[in-house]
Amino acid sequence: MIKRSLFALSKPKLTYDLLDTSLQSVDEIAVPGSLTLLLPEKIDSAKKALIGPGDAVKRGQKLKLYDDSTPYVLSPVAGKIKGFDSYSDDFGNTATYILIKPDPSAKGDDQCAQTDLEQTLEFAADYLGQIPGELPVSTLTNPNYDIRTIVVTGADTDILCDTCQFVCTAYAGLMVAGAKILKAMTRADRICITVPENLSAQVDLDGFNVLRTSDTYPSNLPAMVMKDHLGKQLSPGMTPEDMGVCFIRPEALVSLARTYETGQPVFDKIITLIDKGGKRCRVKATIGTPISKIFSCFNVQINEQDRIIIGGPMRGHATYTVHHPVVPDMDTIMVQDRDVIPELSDNACINCGECIRVCPANVPVNLLVRYLEADLYEEAADRFDLESCIECGLCGYVCRARIPLYQYIRLGKQELLTLRENA
Amino acid sequence: MTNTKLIVSHAPFWHNGDSLFQQNLNFIIALIPAALFGILHFGAPALGVLTLATSSAMLWEVIMSVLSKKKVAIGNMESAVIGLLFGMMVPATMPWWVVITGTFVAVILGKFVFGGTGGNPFHPTLVGMAILTMSWPAFLDFDTAYVSYQFDFTALAPLVALKSQGTSALASFSNYNLLMGNEVGGIGSTFGLGIIIGGIYLMLRGYARWEIVVAFIAGVLITATIFFALHPDAYAPPLFHLFAGYTLLGAFFLAVENSSSPVNRIPMLIYGFLGGFMVILIRNIGIYPDGTVLAILLINLINPLIDIIRPKALGKGVSNA
Repeated sequence: MIKRSLFALSKPKLTYDLLDTSLQSVDEIAVPGSLTLLLPEKIDSAKKALIGPGDAVKRGQKLKLYDDSTPYVLSPVAGKIKGFDSYSDDFGNTATYILIKPDPSAKGDDQCAQTDLEQTLEFAADYLGQIPGELPVSTLTNPNYDIRTIVVTGADTDILCDTCQFVCTAYAGLMVAGAKILKAMTRADRICITVPENLSAQVDLDGFNVLRTSDTYPSNLPAMVMKDHLGKQLSPGMTPEDMGVCFIRPEALVSLARTYETGQPVFDKIITLIDKGGKRCRVKATIGTPISKIFSCFNVQINEQDRIIIGGPMRGHATYTVHHPVVPDMDTIMVQDRDVIPELSDNACINCGECIRVCPANVPVNLLVRYLEADLYEEAADRFDLESCIECGLCGYVCRARIPLYQYIRLGKQELLTLRENA
Repeated sequence: MTNTKLIVSHAPFWHNGDSLFQQNLNFIIALIPAALFGILHFGAPALGVLTLATSSAMLWEVIMSVLSKKKVAIGNMESAVIGLLFGMMVPATMPWWVVITGTFVAVILGKFVFGGTGGNPFHPTLVGMAILTMSWPAFLDFDTAYVSYQFDFTALAPLVALKSQGTSALASFSNYNLLMGNEVGGIGSTFGLGIIIGGIYLMLRGYARWEIVVAFIAGVLITATIFFALHPDAYAPPLFHLFAGYTLLGAFFLAVENSSSPVNRIPMLIYGFLGGFMVILIRNIGIYPDGTVLAILLINLINPLIDIIRPKALGKGVSNA
């Protein structure tokens, strides 16, 4: 953990990590005896489900809960549905776990559900939304957006993470091929890629518009890339998609290229595991593999009151169970020992101004948090720039009173959306 | 590891390690040179006043926390800093009951009634000092406080002498003596060099905002220079004002108190400059010999007003949106 420097006249500087070149190879993890798929829809007992326990599934079969539902997952293996469970994320959104028992005896042509893959956006949206790297199909097909620019996040958005950099350098050819496929599918006329300015690896990025990003956190975040490299400042409440820019992981392009090359969807996700000592391991695991499997493969001991973080230390989220599965957008898993978990508090803001000096979006966090604590979300957005926040987490990182500022802000945004929807 | 209970919380999962305790510990470390000098200079009574002020301030906090059924938070040492600063501003011979009353006002009226840590609109110590100045000015009279002491320098409070005798009194105070603490005054407010060293330490550590300190000192020097340039025979030179009385303590330790000072850069500069400006106005035109306490209370008052001058947030007022 990076501590406050002894001399703190200037604002603290967190830097992105460059690609860990000592890790050249990826360790593959065999398909475990049970897979868990995360389907972002909750179980509604009033409706008749399309799938049920005991159903046989094929590799690549599309699984939906109900006739009228849009979210789907693809089964990465041929096997049987064992059961269902419900899951809720940190905002209380419920989703469904589908437990699948792989059947290694399934062989031959009947193993694969879909064989002819069309190279159209409609087909990709209908079938390839869950390939490793998570292709943002819902954004690309949304009629409200006019996506003209696609930015590939070759530079990871969070510190410590280097999965995106690894994918870019190790699979550059596939990525370029994937970009060509995507460009042909969509109306995008410009494909950019963010690359850390200090990255020395030489990669042939044919057809990409290379954006060299600085190593200072949070310059790789979408809002900062928009401002620094694309010359577009996001207005409060606007997303990059509103301005015709779609951000996409390099792994999504790689998976896209591999899918069309092999003629069937791929399911192996590249993940960087950062253990308690900060050592990295590169893993290739099938989507749906419980993360506990990865820990046991690398002998990472998880004790009571440790913290498992999916994503990086500034923007990730903590999971409450080691049975959480590998999902398409999971780039990094980080384990924190109970002894190094920083303590938070319920102190009031002391107005020290550390957050003001560190905020890249000039949000008056010290005033904002007072309104958020009092549940005054509309006022917080109108007068104190709640929606200008780019969600980098630096305010919570420097807070002297140890207030969970970033949590307040994200909760505030969520509540604001709910208020507006109900209005 | 099937049913391992994990800690779940929100990002960020790192912290730079800063805390209220660290902040207040650094304040105390920074105050030590000046406080030690006061103890060496004024003897055991000074030690008594400093310890009584610090401990009673902490005790008031505990009593109030228990009475109001709040979490006892003396562990972050904020009350200790309030008490220590109070002790450093009063003479070494102050009776015990005045010290205790002063810290009572400082901690309870200055801080607790506004909701505790972070809620105080004024510097708590200064609230205590201001009430004492109004109620018992005799106990804050540095000239009578040290009558039983034998000093090898002019045992006159410089600012009081200036007020009563005019610029003719200035001959007995050299800037060097003022800086090295050869003057009578509050226990910890005489040793200018110690305060400057402690203050610079605090600024470098980032616990005192340098903009406020620099602007405050600039305010004092510029305003005093203007007065001195216009009427050199009626007003004291700028450096005298800087080194005498509470000016340095005010600039480095009192004006920078977090919750009563602005956080944006331009407001910090305005706030500091106005503070220095008011100090000199009160000294040169007002009736009080030392205006630091009241000047800082005044700028505390305008803090919320000027702190709305702030940079535009990302994406606000952009035409391409």
